[in-house]
Amino acid sequence: MEKDTLILSFESSCDETSVAVIKNGKEILSNIIATQIKSHQRFGGVVPEVASRHHVEEVTKCIDLALDKAKVSYENLDAVAVTYGPGLVGSLLIGIMAAKTVAFAHNLPLIKVNHLAGHIYSANFVTELQYPFMSLLVSGGHTELVLVTAPGVFHTLGDTRDDAVGEAYDKIGRVLGINYPAGKKVDEMAAVGNDTFNFPRAMVQEDNLDFSFSGLKSAFINTVHHADQVNEELNKDDLAASFQGAVLDILVNKTFKALKLHPVKQLIVGGGVSANQGLRKRLAEEIEKRNMDMELVFPPLRLCGDNAAMIGAMAQIQYDKGDFAELDLNADPSLDFDME
Amino acid sequence: MKILAFDTSNKPLSVAVVVDGKVLAHLESTEKKTHSVTILPDIKKALTESNLTINDIDLIAVAKGPGSYTGVRIAVTVAKTLADTLHKNLVGVSSLELLAADGDKAHILVPLMDARNDNAFAGVYQNSRDKFVSIIGDHHTSMEKLFEALKEYDENQLEFINATPRLQELIQNQFPNAKIITVEDSLPDAAKLAKLAESKKPVTDIDDFIPTYLRLTQAEHDWYAKGHKDDGNVSYVEEV
Ligand SMILES: [Zn+2]
Repeated sequence: MEKDTLILSFESSCDETSVAVIKNGKEILSNIIATQIKSHQRFGGVVPEVASRHHVEEVTKCIDLALDKAKVSYENLDAVAVTYGPGLVGSLLIGIMAAKTVAFAHNLPLIKVNHLAGHIYSANFVTELQYPFMSLLVSGGHTELVLVTAPGVFHTLGDTRDDAVGEAYDKIGRVLGINYPAGKKVDEMAAVGNDTFNFPRAMVQEDNLDFSFSGLKSAFINTVHHADQVNEELNKDDLAASFQGAVLDILVNKTFKALKLHPVKQLIVGGGVSANQGLRKRLAEEIEKRNMDMELVFPPLRLCGDNAAMIGAMAQIQYDKGDFAELDLNADPSLDFDME
Repeated sequence: MKILAFDTSNKPLSVAVVVDGKVLAHLESTEKKTHSVTILPDIKKALTESNLTINDIDLIAVAKGPGSYTGVRIAVTVAKTLADTLHKNLVGVSSLELLAADGDKAHILVPLMDARNDNAFAGVYQNSRDKFVSIIGDHHTSMEKLFEALKEYDENQLEFINATPRLQELIQNQFPNAKIITVEDSLPDAAKLAKLAESKKPVTDIDDFIPTYLRLTQAEHDWYAKGHKDDGNVSYVEEV
């Protein structure tokens, strides 16, 4: 029997401080997540300087808890992994400094992980991945279609030209009087409302696989402002349903365009917006409608948002390849697959 | 006592290993490279030069701010993680006290960090037998208010440390006879940091050790200015 690999992994790219112990890239021994949502809700969105301060407050607590909960000590570990981008530079740096320090102190190899790759590989905790597979990444920072042809080999097929989908949710949420993060509430309202406003579906006519949500966002905001000016009361649930209807149409259109070009056995959805119930339902329906023999994989709700477990899953692939980083590792806030 | 000391609160990065008062290694880098890149390789190098491993170290000493927010966070994160992961003692020293240790013994020492718009982080220290006694605690202040507080001293006894060209200009207008050490000439020295740390009590709760910012973030400042209050023991960060 082969020896187990234990990786202590760190994630701090935005407003969650997370440390996890992952066995063989597949089994979560612990996954501590300290979220700062309550702090940033005071400001209606993530404030980078505040986020960075919180990471410093939390990081050692998370390390100790992660090891305690996993019932392992430093001698049991094989490597230390950390998100080095993309994300907020001041936030990324705290996880990177802590991870480098632990690696140095205990003489462990260091693995630098792309945050987006982490989101994709959160599926590793759910199913056996079959290459090539398609991945739809939807979060507050990203909207991408990524074809994964082999372990750790990524090809970006489409990206957003403006807002990320989660960002669009937060912005229209503000107009509806919903505090950040607005995704869950808008999703709930959309479930009871009707798509009556016919907002534009940007770029669905175009041949490429890129996304755009700013036109939809503007149409939404203009509609609400116009109604305010003429003192007209709009049904908020219908507004939410109309917004979400347009978002899902755009996501579905581009995703199935990509799947037509690259037929695969698995569609993996990842990122914060993958928790959206409307999206989950819709993608399942579309696959059934098309009679496709394709597995649809969503991470469990706890792994949709940012967490260190997914970083450990990706890190295992790099560990097996001997892909290690040095102690001079720095943050790369605008890291993307194409840059690697 | 074997001490590993480092400071990243200013432009220069300084790392030292001091054993029983003797400086075994001392690295200063004023290079443009960011502290996040160089600090761990430099710590490793300093230990190698000293023929020690990190496990041999008894005490971690770090300059905990005020200073560049990112810079101070980098050093504090490395220091608290090292202390936590290896169960070492940890001492945080004011970055201003460390600057004061650069001053002339005969003077009232006023270490400064330029905080823009004619503001500064400042403290007032007096050297008493190589211990730096704080007379006015470290604080964020306008230079005008600072000058007001310093008027009771003989300006010939004043020494300002770490003044940027703009702060230097303001000081010279107010106290033409005061001594000034400029940013270029003031090099915070981790060997001095180790010495300062030796006489201080180690922190009791490493998790709670955070940088001394001396200033709220703009967002929090604005939030409180609008009349918001924390409701009692509200915790802004929670484990989920
Ligand atoms: Zn993310």
